[in-house]
Amino acid sequence: MKNNAWNILKKELKELFRDKKSLSMMLVIPIFIPLLVLGMSALFEAQANKDVEEYNKIGIAYEMTEEEKAIAEEMKLELMQASEEELKEKYQKAEINLYVTKHENRYTINTDGAENSTYAKRLVETFLDAYKQYLQGNYLQANQMNPTEVLDIITVEEKSIKEEENFFANYVKNYAFLFIIMAITVSATYPATDTTAGEKERGTLETLLTFPIKSKDIIVGKFLGVSLSSMITGMISLGLAIVSLLIAQDRFSIYEGINLMYDITAILVAVLIIIAYSIFISGLCISIASTSKTFKEAQSALTPLTFISFFPSMIAFMIEISATPLLSVIPFLNYTIIFTSITKGDVSYLNIFLMFASTILYISFVLTYIIKQYKSEKVLFSK
Amino acid sequence: MIKVEKLTKKFRKNKTKKETEEFYADQNISFQVDSGEIVGILGPNGAGKTTLLRMIAGILEPTEGTINFDGLNYQEHEIEIKQNIAYLSGNTKLYDTLSTYELLKMCSEIYNVPSEIAEDRIKELKKVLNLESFLYNKIANLSTGQTQRVNIARCLIHSPQYYILDEATTGLDIISSQIILDFIKQERDKGKTILYSTHYMEEAENICNRVIMMNKGEIIHSGTPEQIKKDTKTTNLRDAFFEMIGGVSNEE
Repeated sequence: MKNNAWNILKKELKELFRDKKSLSMMLVIPIFIPLLVLGMSALFEAQANKDVEEYNKIGIAYEMTEEEKAIAEEMKLELMQASEEELKEKYQKAEINLYVTKHENRYTINTDGAENSTYAKRLVETFLDAYKQYLQGNYLQANQMNPTEVLDIITVEEKSIKEEENFFANYVKNYAFLFIIMAITVSATYPATDTTAGEKERGTLETLLTFPIKSKDIIVGKFLGVSLSSMITGMISLGLAIVSLLIAQDRFSIYEGINLMYDITAILVAVLIIIAYSIFISGLCISIASTSKTFKEAQSALTPLTFISFFPSMIAFMIEISATPLLSVIPFLNYTIIFTSITKGDVSYLNIFLMFASTILYISFVLTYIIKQYKSEKVLFSK
Repeated sequence: MIKVEKLTKKFRKNKTKKETEEFYADQNISFQVDSGEIVGILGPNGAGKTTLLRMIAGILEPTEGTINFDGLNYQEHEIEIKQNIAYLSGNTKLYDTLSTYELLKMCSEIYNVPSEIAEDRIKELKKVLNLESFLYNKIANLSTGQTQRVNIARCLIHSPQYYILDEATTGLDIISSQIILDFIKQERDKGKTILYSTHYMEEAENICNRVIMMNKGEIIHSGTPEQIKKDTKTTNLRDAFFEMIGGVSNEE
């Protein structure tokens, strides 16, 4: 009797690898990782290397000075002079990227914040700064003052004490990992539903419960089966993420001179996190799905989990939260923040230990509760 | 020996969205099945046969009463009892993705049957139940009759002492039904304890040593088929049953 969890696990794995839906969930979802990495890189590159001609059409609703025209020409601005009303109309027809109005010495940049307008705004701000400097210089010279001495009376420079970082590289590396976590979540939900609510719906659970197997062995066997399938998805996703980063490094100029690849520590920690997260999410999915009466009900109950697994981590990543011992025990959040901290070179073995220990603790509680609930009558006939 | 004493099962069902009402699926059921005996549980749909057998098979928990298997009860010896039970119903479902052979291997491992003995039993069952042509086919691809034969093989793999068979021949063709009935008789002759529920009165008359007749969750009569026919002054169990319930009108 001692091997019955193993017997259930063997049965689960046979069913899992022979079921097309489970297999596709396990193997197809990771394919989205290269699409994400290469897609995001292509988008970033397009933004970084945006052709100035795509956003240099500027409407001017006032009479420009010769100096303004000279600066505009030097900056390759394509100017269109007309009345404010006419320019508004042209802007709405997307013939210009923004328009500038002027009342006495006050310039107003009119824009709605659309992508090309944002680029155009930066261009016009640079143009107006240059013109402002020209006017300030002229004024000082007219008053017998040296513009350089006045305007540069002090100089301020910024020196980064952080290691050279590439925004795009960090973004892609961390988002790829976030998607690995999401892929694990999605791939855990189907087998967890199938092995609990699905088995109940197909009628095989009644057969299983007549066997001399303790409910502990049934739950542990099923839990290990789902955990293994999630780990496989996680490892395939990680492999594909590494390959995608290598391809992106080679193909996109935005990553020139920097190392896009995860270092060996990050890869090892990623493997540990994938194992911990697979255990965590599988336990959670099994617990939720086993209390559902039907496959459909289990799927509905598990859908929010996909979002819960993604959003806390995404927000933490966006506002750049670093891992702390306290945050390392907060489920869902801990996995990605530990990884992002490690990609920044902040390796804390305490945090990794706390993540693992808390995961095992949470899942032990959840599974113990479910094992107690998993008595034949409650599972099969609860309404 | 299976000994059932004052077994009662109460369910709760929704009357309206807020109100629930209780009803008895089985009430105060007592009987005994000895080794080498087939006891038939007879009655129409809704008589409480399936609930009774599910309680005896350990799938449902009784509200009141006790079940003993040669002195062992579920509260203290659940795994030991289940190790010696074979439960088979007309609705028992098997794992579609496994082959017959894989299922039998899995069951033998679950029941702790040593590998060599399990292989010998599979060979024997293959001959007796005529499984040869589909032993390595997936269960999903088998006919209803073939699936039920696999089910019987699954029940036999650990050579159990107690058989709990709930309408095991329902929906089967005449050949598959006969295979099951022959198998039940053979097991009885080996000294096994067999509880057999059916609503086919003729079938029960043919194979059961004793019969328990149920209606609306209660035992309305029990005894050998001959004794019941004699008591009710009828010539078959079907007429005996109608005689006991006072005609065909049995609606709630």
